[in-house]
Amino acid sequence: MTTHAVESWIEGPLARFVDDARVSLALLLHPSGQVLAQHGFTRSVDVMSACALAAAINASASELGKMLDGRPFTGLHHAGEERQVFLAEARTPRGPYIFLTVFGSESSLGLVRMYFGELVTNLMSAAPAEAAPAAPALAENFERDLNRNLAALFGRA
Amino acid sequence: MSGSPFAEMLGALTRQRGVVASLVVDEHEGMIVDAILQFGQDGDRIAALAASLYRKARQSAHAAGLGGVHFLQMDAEQGRLCMAGRNALVLVVATSPNANVGLVRVEMLRAVEGLA
Amino acid sequence: MADDLRRWSDELAHDPASLAFLPLGEALRRQGQHEHALRVTLRGLERHPHLADAHDLLARICVDRGELERAFDEWDMTLRLAPEHAGALKGLAFVCYQQGRFPEAEAWLQRAAQGEAADAGIGAALETVRRSTGALHASDVAAAEAAYDPHDPRALFADSLDGDDQTAILLDPGGMVLGGLYLTESGRDVAPEIGAALSGVSDEASRATRHLGIGAWTSIVFETESAAVAMAPTVQDGLLVVAASRATPLGHLRRLLARCVARAAAWLGGTA
Repeated sequence: MTTHAVESWIEGPLARFVDDARVSLALLLHPSGQVLAQHGFTRSVDVMSACALAAAINASASELGKMLDGRPFTGLHHAGEERQVFLAEARTPRGPYIFLTVFGSESSLGLVRMYFGELVTNLMSAAPAEAAPAAPALAENFERDLNRNLAALFGRA
Repeated sequence: MSGSPFAEMLGALTRQRGVVASLVVDEHEGMIVDAILQFGQDGDRIAALAASLYRKARQSAHAAGLGGVHFLQMDAEQGRLCMAGRNALVLVVATSPNANVGLVRVEMLRAVEGLA
Repeated sequence: MADDLRRWSDELAHDPASLAFLPLGEALRRQGQHEHALRVTLRGLERHPHLADAHDLLARICVDRGELERAFDEWDMTLRLAPEHAGALKGLAFVCYQQGRFPEAEAWLQRAAQGEAADAGIGAALETVRRSTGALHASDVAAAEAAYDPHDPRALFADSLDGDDQTAILLDPGGMVLGGLYLTESGRDVAPEIGAALSGVSDEASRATRHLGIGAWTSIVFETESAAVAMAPTVQDGLLVVAASRATPLGHLRRLLARCVARAAAWLGGTA
């Protein structure tokens, strides 16, 4: 199982996270839902669904946090019977990204949180200095960008 | 010092010579339940890694037919981790290399009875 | 091994009907990842409910989980699908033996011995069952150890240990046994199983020390319900495991560990 990234600077930090934290799935996406990197997915349709859901959950949690606590919730954890989901905002020089990971009994929430902290640090230092902040996706470009990113991840670019 | 049910136990352990952190950790989540840490100690990091090590040792010992793990001690060049578990909680003590591990072990085995 | 696991996992991900779940489940079982192995095997069985080897694998996982009754049922099913399945015959004998049903254990082993896949291990097991009225005494274990040729790698630590209740094994970085042995009370050498189960602990220790910044790990000691176990890294990325009865003082166990590490270093140096 390999890690694929639309932009090469993301690949190293994400691969290291997967290796250290021993998670089964990992996904980094733009808040608009466009995929930036993935590990563990075998079908582009699954990535597309996960991105849409993660973006929606992140948006809902942000609004809920603002209503309840005066500031957005930036992390979420759900423990299933066998697998757990961790979703959090990753701030990078390119702007805020959303990070989603799924893990089982080989890892733990404590390990995932710890390595997520390291992932953010590694993304900060790996991000190209001259890169412009990510622009918000325009509706007319969104689907084209989404498909382009999926194609890049699954080797059909 | 925290006001949790584990505060007294952790306080007694932290007073031992060479102890730099004592924590009660959820074994499965690797998260701190309660802790007393010296300045500069990263409790979350210790909790996550120690719980993972203890859980792996427990699973491995079970797989090897050796039964449950009562006490685990890992020595490293510049420090030591001691763990004792009960009821899905792990008592973790981090020490410097010069700590009296015999005393720490006795105190931990006594204290672990109070984990519930 | 990690590459193999990845390859089999990938194969299953691409083709859920693949038989790769068999080697993957077995590898996970040997690594002590019983829950994971169980899930992989059950998923495989959903696709291949009439595959004898899959039921055999499930039975072995059940044994590792201490579920002897369920293991018996699975091996029983294996035999319905493949009446001469040697693994199932030996497995059923093992369960009966563990439950003290020695005549039944002997009958299963006799049937296994008559099959085409009979091996020397079946003969030894038959002999053990026949003279069993319970576990062997420690003196039997010592005699078994002494029976090995001094040049046999299994006798590597014979001079370094000083009691019948002590044992040591040397593992390579992949968890495979290089030397030493680990005898059960029934006289069976289970070093490969013990090595596979315990080698993962050193990976966890390496990760912990790396992220805590306390230097490399030098030893791990843990006390279990039935034994005191000490581990240490050796030259050439090997791992030494020493086990002794719970009555052994931990200080003494550490001295044994140091002695065996030195013996292993000398031996590895000589064999490098």
